[in-house]
Amino acid sequence: MAGTSENLPFDLPEVDYTRYSNRQLAAVPLAVLALALLVIAATFALTGAPVDPGLDFTGGTELRVAVDAPNEDAAREQIRGAFAVEPESIQSVPSDATYIVTFQEGAASTSALDQQARDAGLEVRSSDSVSASFGGETQGLALAGVAVAFVGMSLLVFAMFRTFVPSIAVVVSAFSDIVIPVALMNLLGIELSLGTVAALLMIIGYSVDSDILLNSHILRRSGDFYESTYRAMRTGVTMTLTSLAAMAVMAVTATLFGIELLASIGIILVFGLAADLMNTYMLNLSLLRWYKFEGVNR
Amino acid sequence: MVSVRDNWRVFLLVLVLLGSTFALFSPTMSGSDGPSGPGQASDGPTNLRFGLELSGGTRIRAPLVGVTAEGVQFGDENITAVERNVADQFDGITVTDVTARRSANASTVEVTAENVTTDDLASALDATGYQYESVREGVTEPTRQQTVEVLQAKVNEAGLSGGTVQSVSTAQGQYFILIEAPEERQAVIDLVNSRGTVRVDIYHPAENGSGYTTREAVLEQGDFQSISTAQQGEGNQPPFVRVSIKENVAPQFQRAVVETGVAQPGGTSCSYRENPDTTDPCLLTKVDGEVVYAAGMEASLAQSMRSGQWLNDPTFILPADNYSAAQQLAIDLRAGALPAQLDLEEEGTSSYVSPSQGASFKVDSLITGVIAVLAVSVVVFLRYGRVEVAVPMILTALSEVVVLLGFASVIGYPIDLAVIAGFVAVIGTGVDDLIIIADEVMSEGDVSSRRVFQSRFRKAFWVIGAAAATTIIAMSPLAVLSLGDLRGFAIFTILGVIVGVLLTRPAYGDILRGLLTESR
Repeated sequence: MAGTSENLPFDLPEVDYTRYSNRQLAAVPLAVLALALLVIAATFALTGAPVDPGLDFTGGTELRVAVDAPNEDAAREQIRGAFAVEPESIQSVPSDATYIVTFQEGAASTSALDQQARDAGLEVRSSDSVSASFGGETQGLALAGVAVAFVGMSLLVFAMFRTFVPSIAVVVSAFSDIVIPVALMNLLGIELSLGTVAALLMIIGYSVDSDILLNSHILRRSGDFYESTYRAMRTGVTMTLTSLAAMAVMAVTATLFGIELLASIGIILVFGLAADLMNTYMLNLSLLRWYKFEGVNR
Repeated sequence: MVSVRDNWRVFLLVLVLLGSTFALFSPTMSGSDGPSGPGQASDGPTNLRFGLELSGGTRIRAPLVGVTAEGVQFGDENITAVERNVADQFDGITVTDVTARRSANASTVEVTAENVTTDDLASALDATGYQYESVREGVTEPTRQQTVEVLQAKVNEAGLSGGTVQSVSTAQGQYFILIEAPEERQAVIDLVNSRGTVRVDIYHPAENGSGYTTREAVLEQGDFQSISTAQQGEGNQPPFVRVSIKENVAPQFQRAVVETGVAQPGGTSCSYRENPDTTDPCLLTKVDGEVVYAAGMEASLAQSMRSGQWLNDPTFILPADNYSAAQQLAIDLRAGALPAQLDLEEEGTSSYVSPSQGASFKVDSLITGVIAVLAVSVVVFLRYGRVEVAVPMILTALSEVVVLLGFASVIGYPIDLAVIAGFVAVIGTGVDDLIIIADEVMSEGDVSSRRVFQSRFRKAFWVIGAAAATTIIAMSPLAVLSLGDLRGFAIFTILGVIVGVLLTRPAYGDILRGLLTESR
């Protein structure tokens, strides 16, 4: 048992890595990654897109309306009655009794919807409209942006560590950190929005922090492998849990307030950071251990 | 004991914080230059400007309708003749929709009407025999500039204070017109959507005695010398705009009203709308081809027209149905016609936030941010259990936000939800880095000497620098691409990381060193 002097923060149970083989360690995150890719592939096969694109990308209109109604059912009824076309979704914002009503592209012009809402006595608090062709271009841009960010990050990681296995370990972990949230979005029915794209890019930035920390402790410092690992874990787990706490709280608060941008960033980062805990300390670690004990000497 | 030389990072941080606070709150810094956005400068105690989402207003972003042929050969031919020749090739397109421009090497022909494709333009040019190099979607730079100017004039004329109009381009070389104004969506759309081409026609009995005919465009947009603001009519008179006609156009107009019988002895009374088949001759005021008012002529004016006396003072009034119509008429006359229309339904985006919603977004996002910081604080306290480590950590992370806010108020960058998300991201990465520093510095017992501290600090910094570099790389596509509001998010995250790595996070190292080594 190595690194006995170090305890993990928050009384987390100490993991005895010596009990598990690299294969065992890597199996779980790889299985989850495979599952996530399967979910995305299935979504792609069913819908033609890897993830359900939201209003920002498909085009459409979203109105936030305040309704004077005794209860939520009545409010929803009133909203449905107000518009000549059926809304795609009606989402309630608990904090201020408003409702976010979404219409698909082409259902009706925003001006018409705006007018219908006013005629029915709904107060239009905000409106957003995106045309389909503009949304399509945005989607292309967003995907390209994520790809460029990922490739840029990968090149930077390779430039920093200059060895293949530790670098690829970081890149694979980061890839999985992005893929798992996307799969979860599909499973939970969360649409891709500009906010979720921002969150995916943030995951690239955030998630590699703990991987870089782990690599740097193990590769750039003298000392026992397990001791370095535990020290990196102490710091890395604290970092990730701090961010996780902040994002979870932000996701809940922003959802209550109906601030969609902050809510979607929060939710996706919670997924990404949770995935990162697993990937860093199981996938990345097992690759590093293999590299340190077997790979180097080959 | 506390020497500036040893703690210069801390002193620098304090200095920058003081500067930021000054930029944020000092009244001398308020109303900083830069285009005034709809956010309106400094409402409230700070010099911060707020974007649409937080202050309320409408943003419209749309390309201009039009197709352009480049490198058209029309030699020395009269520009107007070229425009007419091209317009004649289309059904239902008038000369106003066609613009030919001659320049030294690349003359262009634009058609700014809806539903005209590049193929249509190509075949029209082929039919007229003009050679051209290429046809493309979109309009030319001068047309774009002119449209921006006209729209800005319209926005100003309508009294939408703080409304801005600008031409923006995307990374793919597409151009959009971006309009922001502190008004309701429909009001802004109505304002910009009307192309606002004003002209006056004369509707009169045909000369051969059968039915009526229209003499078109006896007065056009450019024919007015001066235009009054909208005025209330006296008594039963309708609201109106008083206009005077340019000297070189006035005689033609005078001849036209006399010839067509509008200015007949005793004047005319127009009943165009009620009985168009039996009415006296009428002056029709048309905006974008629609008749907005039909008027006869008073006896006195008719007399003055017939005698030619009117030419000494060529003014008359354009009446309107109601005051707001008169206002709109004045706006259209003054601002001039839009060279091209906005393609809002097909390719545009619009967003509107009511002032009350903006105000609650402001408060709610502040609460969200504060709660996120509290969550971070709780976790950090739980982890370290030492006030001298945790409190400076939170304060340092918050100081990054203060620096960013100061920066935003200096450059007048409007704060919106995306920027606030950026602040949260900065606090997140900031605290991560501070945890790395704290853990590294405190590892293996207490910090005994400066030298040990320095070497540990340097080790920690390698990781921080590497992490910062990846964050900057990951965010840079967003900072460059025009993906909606997310640019602000990326810019402020990147700025925050840079400020953090260069300024605040090293300063935290110094603070921690002071607290840990001197407490011994």
